[in-house]
Amino acid sequence: MTPASTQALGLARPVIQGLIILNGLYTLVISGLLVWSFFIDGWPERPLGFDMVNAHPLLGQGLRAIVMIGIAGALIVHFVLRHLRAIVDTVRVGDPFNLENARRLDRIAWGVVALELLRVAVAAIAAVVWEAGRIEAFSFAPWLAVLLLFVLSGVFAQGARMREDLEGTV
Amino acid sequence: MAILVRLDDKLHERRMTLTELAARVDITVANLSILKTGKAKAIRFSTLEAICVALDCQPGDLLLYQHDDTHPNP
Repeated sequence: MTPASTQALGLARPVIQGLIILNGLYTLVISGLLVWSFFIDGWPERPLGFDMVNAHPLLGQGLRAIVMIGIAGALIVHFVLRHLRAIVDTVRVGDPFNLENARRLDRIAWGVVALELLRVAVAAIAAVVWEAGRIEAFSFAPWLAVLLLFVLSGVFAQGARMREDLEGTV
Repeated sequence: MAILVRLDDKLHERRMTLTELAARVDITVANLSILKTGKAKAIRFSTLEAICVALDCQPGDLLLYQHDDTHPNP
């Protein structure tokens, strides 16, 4: 391993652990916000300062739907981070090339796909009830990440098979 | 497995123990034991050559193909 990758590996676990905690807090806060929106008078114009005269009549429900999608997104991020932490742990113990890691990378890739589809849903809702183009529906980088993750998953699967072959070789 | 390893027979023939062979071919007893018990998935040519030199035999003396009904031939 290069010095840079060793340093990155040492840093990865605490960073991922921190992100899992932050994501958990974010989920709690937006879940609270969603529940609160049902009890507050004058939602959404009073707390968010919208001018309801010119706003879309479904703005309140639209914002709640976006928050619900946000909660779903946070659960997916949690799933992705837990898988990433498990992969980092296998690298730390010196056993990264196994089929379980290939499956984990596959699941992470599907998680990123799901997140991007949620982004499209949020952008579509925002375009109807709020302002078209306010939230970007497409970003190139995550789709490139999906591609790379599927390729990496294939590399890990191949590596695991090669290692399995080597293990039985005398 | 359709390939049988007859290392035990050759060792017996040469009055040699697995430990002695391991020392001669510079392979661990554990790995030779895997080979002897037929648990190995593959054997390197270098290993086969070293064993053949140590036991003064041919690869065919060590390996035997036995028709296996569970693995039909193409």
